[in-house]
Amino acid sequence: MDWLPGGDKAAIFVCLERGFCEEAGLEVRLESGRGSSESLTKLATGSSDIGNADIGALMAARVTEDLQVTAVMSYYSEGPHAFFTLKGNGIESFADVKGKNLVTSPFTSSNVYLPLVLNDNGLSMDDVTLTKSDPGALNPMLVTGQTDAVISWITDVTRYTQQAKDAGREMIILPWAEAGLVMYSGSIVASNKFLEERPDVARRFIAALLKSVEYMRENPEDAAKAVTDAVPEMDHATAMGSLNDALGLIFNEVTERDGLGALEPGRLQATWERVAAAQGLEQDALDPEDVVDRSFMPENGS
Amino acid sequence: MTATLTRVNRVPGLLPGLTFLIILVLWESSTRFFTIPTFLLPAPSRIVEGFDAVTISRWLAHAWATLRVALLGFLTAIVVSLPLAILLTRFKLVSSGIYPLLVVIQSTPIVAVAPIIIVTMGSGDMSRVLITFMISFFPLVVSMTTGMKATPEELIELSHSLKAPAIREFTQIRIPYAIPYIFSGLKISVTLSVIGAVVAEFVAAEKGIGYFIQFSTSLFKIPQAWAGLAILVVMSLTLFQIIAQTQRYCFPWSLPRESK
Repeated sequence: MDWLPGGDKAAIFVCLERGFCEEAGLEVRLESGRGSSESLTKLATGSSDIGNADIGALMAARVTEDLQVTAVMSYYSEGPHAFFTLKGNGIESFADVKGKNLVTSPFTSSNVYLPLVLNDNGLSMDDVTLTKSDPGALNPMLVTGQTDAVISWITDVTRYTQQAKDAGREMIILPWAEAGLVMYSGSIVASNKFLEERPDVARRFIAALLKSVEYMRENPEDAAKAVTDAVPEMDHATAMGSLNDALGLIFNEVTERDGLGALEPGRLQATWERVAAAQGLEQDALDPEDVVDRSFMPENGS
Repeated sequence: MTATLTRVNRVPGLLPGLTFLIILVLWESSTRFFTIPTFLLPAPSRIVEGFDAVTISRWLAHAWATLRVALLGFLTAIVVSLPLAILLTRFKLVSSGIYPLLVVIQSTPIVAVAPIIIVTMGSGDMSRVLITFMISFFPLVVSMTTGMKATPEELIELSHSLKAPAIREFTQIRIPYAIPYIFSGLKISVTLSVIGAVVAEFVAAEKGIGYFIQFSTSLFKIPQAWAGLAILVVMSLTLFQIIAQTQRYCFPWSLPRESK
C-alpha cells in the first residue's frame, strides 16, 4: 500500500479477509507505506512485487530514473485532490483562493498538481501563501482558524467534515477534478521483474482484486468490517467513511464509460500531459503507453 | 510547614506522585474550563478512554514490537560501543581517525537518513534496529571513552610498572573506574533507544507504539495517540529505572554519596 491502512484500501483487505486472494491461490503479505515514491521504490528494488501508487509519480520516475515498474490497472480513475475550507472563510470557488493561506502535507502528490489547477483557474502560486505541515495537523489547523484552506484527498471528506461539525463549522470541498484536472491517479503497479517472471500470479492477483473491488461496492458494510477485522485499531465508522469517499473515485463516469480498472489511452495521454507540465518535463520524453500493460486485466488474457 | 514537607520528602515517590497528581488535576480542569478541543489537547480522562481503542493483547503486541527493537538497538549499541571505546582510549591514531567520523554520524539527522536505510535494508526489524542503534550509541561511546580516559595516570603507571598486560589495564583499572560514566551513558542511551525505535516505526512498520501513534493521528484519534504516548513514557521510565537500579545494586560504590 502507498499509505497506512484505511477504508479507502478496503479492496485489498476484502481480498485477504474474505478469502478472494486465497481462492486465487495467492499468499499475500501486506505492507503499509508512506507515499507513492516509497511504494514505487519498494517495487523497483524488488522488496515488494505489486502495490498501489500514483500513476503520475510512476510516469515522472520512469523519465527521470528509468524505474522498472509498470501500471497494470487503474484504481482511482479521477484525481483525489481537493481544497477543504470552512463556510465563512471566504472561499466558495477556485477563484476565491487568491490571496488566501493554504496548508498542505509535505509529501502529497497534490503539491505537484497545485500550480496546474491554479493556472487552469487563472491563478499562480504567487497568488496563494502555501505552508506545509504534518498530515494529521491539517484539519485541526483549518478548524482552529490557523489557515483559510487545506489541500487533502477526497478520501478524507467524511473525517474532515465530521471534525468540522464537532467544532460547529460547515466544511466546503472543492475537488480539483471538477476544475479541469482530468487524470488517472492511484493505480495498481508492479515491478517489471515480477511481471516477467510470474505473470500468472500477477493475473490472478488482479482478478482477485477486481472481484474484491466489486464486493466493496456491493457490500460496503462488510468491506469496512474486513478492514477493522485486520486492523482492530480502526473503528467501523471511520473505515466506512473513507470507504464511501473512495468509492466515488473508483466508480464514476469514467469507470462507467471505460470499465473498472481500465487505462484508456486518451485519458492516459491527458494524465501524462498534466504530469509533464507539472514536473517541467518534455512532452515527448515519454510515451505514456510505455508505463502501462493492460494484458494482466482478466478480459485481455494473453 | 517545613517539618511536614520534610516528612513528605522522606516517603519515597510521594513528592513526585503528588506533583504528577496536581498536574493531572490542573490539566483536566483547564481543558474542561477552557473547552479545549480534544484534537488540540485531550483531557487526561479522554486519554484514559483512548486505552479502550484496542484490546489489551493488541496493546501488548504494539508495546512488545517497540520494546524488542529498542532493546535490540540498545544491546547492539553496548556491544559496539565498549570495544570501540577501548580502541579510542588505547590508540591515539584510532581516536583521531574515528572520532570525527562518529561526530559526523551523530550530527546526521537520523530522521532524514531513516528512509534511505529502510529502502536499502528493507522494512524488517533489522533496519529499525540499525536506526535505533545509530541514535543511541554515541552517548555510550563518549561516556565510556571519557570514563576510561579519566582514570588517574598514577594507576596506569602502576599497572605498567607491574607489567600488567593491556587487557588487565582495562578490565581491572580503566573499566571499573569508568563505571559511573558508563552508567550515565547507559541511562541516556536507553531512553534514546525508545526514541530510535519510534522514529523507525514512523518510517516503516506494521506494528509498534510509534506506528500506532502515527496511525491514530492520521485518523484524528488524538486521545488514543496520547494513550500510546503515555505507554512510551512508561516504557522509557521503566528502562531508565532498570539501569539505575542495576547500578544501585551491582555498583553502589559508583553512585554519588547522596544517591546511595
